[in-house]
Amino acid sequence: MIIEHNSQIPRHALYWILAAVILVILPQMMRMPLWISFIAILCVTWRFCISWGWVSYPSRLTRNVVVVFTLIVSASQIRALGIGLDSAASLLALGFVFKLIEMHQKRDIYVMLSLCFIMSMVAFLYDQSVLSTLYVSTVLLVAVGALVAVNRSPFEQRAASTAKLAVLIAAQALPLAVILFAVFPRIAPLWAVPLQNNVSSTGVSDEMSPGDIAQLGRSGDLAFRVQFSSHLPPLHENLYWRGLVLDDFDGTTWSRTRASSSYGSATQLQNFQYNWENRVLAEGEPLQYNVIMEATQQPWIFGLHLAQPIENNLYQSRNFEIFNNGIITQRISYDLLSFQTNKTDLFLLDSQRSRNTSLPDTGNPESREFARQLRASVDSDLDYVYQVLAHFQQNPFFYTLNPRTLDQDRVDNFLFSTREGFCEHYASSFAFLMRAAGIPSRVVVGYQGAEYNPFEDYLMVYQYNAHAWNEVWLEGEGWVRFDPTAAVSPERIRLGPEAALRDDPAFMEEALFSSMRFGGFGGVMNSLRLRFDAIEYEWNRRVVNYDQDTQFELFEQLFGEVTEQKVISLLVFLGGLAIVIIALLIVGVGGSSRRNPLESLYLRIAEELDKAGLGRLSGEGPHNYRDRVSAQRPELGELMATVTSAYVRQSYEVDASALARQRQDIKQMRMALNQLRFKLSNLSRFMPRN
Amino acid sequence: MLIGVKKLWRTKIQALILERAPVCDEITLRQRNIFILPSRNGLLFLLSAGLIFVAAINYAVSLAFGLAFMMISIFIVAVLHTFNNLNGLVISALPTKPVFQGDEVGFNLQLSRGALRTYESLQLDFPAFATSLERGSAVSTVDLLHRDRDQAQVFWTASRRGVLTAPVLRIQTYFPLGIVRAWTFVRLNMHCLVYPRPTKVVMDKIGAGARECEESADFRVGNQEYYGIREYVEGDSMHRVAWKAVARGQGMKVKQFVDYQDNQTWLDWDLFYGFGVEERLSRLCYCVLELSKRDDPFGLKIPGLEVQPGQGLEHRNRLLKALAMFGGEQG
Repeated sequence: MIIEHNSQIPRHALYWILAAVILVILPQMMRMPLWISFIAILCVTWRFCISWGWVSYPSRLTRNVVVVFTLIVSASQIRALGIGLDSAASLLALGFVFKLIEMHQKRDIYVMLSLCFIMSMVAFLYDQSVLSTLYVSTVLLVAVGALVAVNRSPFEQRAASTAKLAVLIAAQALPLAVILFAVFPRIAPLWAVPLQNNVSSTGVSDEMSPGDIAQLGRSGDLAFRVQFSSHLPPLHENLYWRGLVLDDFDGTTWSRTRASSSYGSATQLQNFQYNWENRVLAEGEPLQYNVIMEATQQPWIFGLHLAQPIENNLYQSRNFEIFNNGIITQRISYDLLSFQTNKTDLFLLDSQRSRNTSLPDTGNPESREFARQLRASVDSDLDYVYQVLAHFQQNPFFYTLNPRTLDQDRVDNFLFSTREGFCEHYASSFAFLMRAAGIPSRVVVGYQGAEYNPFEDYLMVYQYNAHAWNEVWLEGEGWVRFDPTAAVSPERIRLGPEAALRDDPAFMEEALFSSMRFGGFGGVMNSLRLRFDAIEYEWNRRVVNYDQDTQFELFEQLFGEVTEQKVISLLVFLGGLAIVIIALLIVGVGGSSRRNPLESLYLRIAEELDKAGLGRLSGEGPHNYRDRVSAQRPELGELMATVTSAYVRQSYEVDASALARQRQDIKQMRMALNQLRFKLSNLSRFMPRN
Repeated sequence: MLIGVKKLWRTKIQALILERAPVCDEITLRQRNIFILPSRNGLLFLLSAGLIFVAAINYAVSLAFGLAFMMISIFIVAVLHTFNNLNGLVISALPTKPVFQGDEVGFNLQLSRGALRTYESLQLDFPAFATSLERGSAVSTVDLLHRDRDQAQVFWTASRRGVLTAPVLRIQTYFPLGIVRAWTFVRLNMHCLVYPRPTKVVMDKIGAGARECEESADFRVGNQEYYGIREYVEGDSMHRVAWKAVARGQGMKVKQFVDYQDNQTWLDWDLFYGFGVEERLSRLCYCVLELSKRDDPFGLKIPGLEVQPGQGLEHRNRLLKALAMFGGEQG
């Protein structure tokens, strides 16, 4: 028993808190400005030094300086990063570490740990992957461990037992949390807060200069995952994930004409409304599929041509590109319908024709001349297209991620001298040759191909699948897709970049831990990688994307028509059930696992003796019991003395020496029990039963 | 408003609860007598869970919902664990050693558990609001981890002489997470005898055969026979000064009287004539303590009670008790 006077933080509890703080700060450090990370490290070190008594808590002056400093930093942060997630998260982290050094009372611990939970939530704003979830779960466990450590007895400080209790509490809390997660009605956002962060955009962009897509080819990051709901996915060579249409060429860069289809604001949404029926001729059963796309910090999404969005927050531009309503800052999921047999824009407006045939006034004379001659030698536009493709096929063009750099008349240079390039070189020069011959054509950027994941039956599209191809307008056909890269490197289209670029050292060179680099194809590593991705995919589909709609669908599947009453009664029923079960577990059984082993051994010895008619009387003290047994059976005297002294020492004597002997006493007791069994069995053998 | 509610809680409701709690020697804590509410830190915990929930709604972050729900679940589990950290606990009163007025009383109690249970970080105290005092007692912390029973002492100041009844005992716990507080009020049958505070008096005239004469009206206490003279010590009565010896120039001497009738010492109420009741009791208490260190038997005469001379610890305690209880059950 101790008398408590202060509310100081116990040392062992402090280590738990510091562990939680460090775990929370670590992932945040990767996203914060470097100097905030530096301050964070400084503060954590300072706190360690305080706990070792090397330095003292900050003085009032220091604290005031810190407050002023933070105010200045806040202002500069907001100026530099804007009011957004990044600046808010950085400031939160800054306040968090400052609070750490002035934490000297038990009360401060709770403020600290509450901030830990809020920082964990911030981590989820950035990343909701399986790995991130496991990490935050660890943080949660350590934070609960810190709470336990603060509140537990000073005589029970072993980290293992604290950890055990923390895990037990978390495990008991988990079922109820899962039920709440599944059943609790999701509420629509109270006010719209666009999440802004300064993460640079990834993936295919709305401009294409030579080398842009080759850059993506170096990355092994995932772009999106696709699952087809009813039909088999199309063949690999037909997997053209159409993104943006680039129809403006300045001699170097292809870019999207923004005026033709602005995006990002709801008022301009009206501009994209057009008469689908008049421009589209779609046949056959559409493919339905779900895409889960990684954050790109861009508004556009990808789908098979010709895609029709079936969700409210997606819309389509004049060129049949699909946009999300807002920048994609988090992994999103969307459903699309695609008509594989289609014709679009059978009648081309003059404005469209002129835009899609315009070229810079000067430059690339050789190519222009080549186009003019070739077009003159064939009868139709289609024949011309085939001739150009044949030109790519028959001449020594190379498909590589590391082409020689081009200067000045880039198209001329590429077509007639270097003849090595990545898809953007082929798409760019192809479109140039078309336009030079007066045929409307444009560049389309997106992804081509995918990797099939057999574990959950879906497709994975990586950044290295990024691709550029062309669409050419032909009389009576509308816009038709042509891919000059296929003429140069058919395996790129048929098998994917993994096959086509297997020997290219630049391929996926940025993907440090890509198993493909270690394991190659068909290896165990590859299978493992697919399996992990399948878990990630399922996690996303079932947990991360669990929203109002999915919840509604689930209820409808399980309980038929969904009413508010039903949902509430289900919530109450399931939640109540979980609480009752946990309550029975905790209160009913009450930590049976922690039963004193010595106690149970003593009871077992008494039981054994009871068989020989020497049971312990109710209310009989251990010493009296020993004396009675020794008197009746002197041969058991020594054994009883050992057992009794061990039992009494462990049960009644409150000191450290008894605790130190605990293990030894248990061992002695166990031996005594065995001896006793042996002796009693011998005894009963020789004694006549009465 | 919060303060108002708190005040109401402190005064009216708790008083009601306290009155309902019966006085007993042993009590087993059950649902009936365990109260449970979130602690201040628990409110902070719930507030942050709420914040996370709002953020989850606004940013539509599924796992932030999960985090908020997990925190709420942890809170509910903490309620159960904290409740369980009192449930089934057996508290019994143990005898408490008498103390002197003004000293700290360590009320002894025993906490015991069933074989399958453990209890950790139990805080015991006498809260201020259950008494008329400004400050409550210090908090004693007890665990029942490795042993089935343990003793605890909760301290209280013995401000008045007599029988001190222990104030309402509060047992509370924040274990395991500190976000929930479970507590109970127990009125255990715990009493402590409070002796008067001893006040030092010069002892060499008492009990060594010397007789006090003081200003008292009658000298019943063994003062019949003249025994001899001794050196004057400051504080001796002027009545006993051997003036003849002074006249002879032998210096200040004091006459000593011995009671040859029975060689026993009596502590008389009137030994300290002129003092107030409590002051007399304090002085008598000191005398009892001092005399009981010697071998000589001594008795006590106070209004309404006469204890025949005796010896030993038991005798001493009897006398002290008599002093403590003087004036009825006024303690």
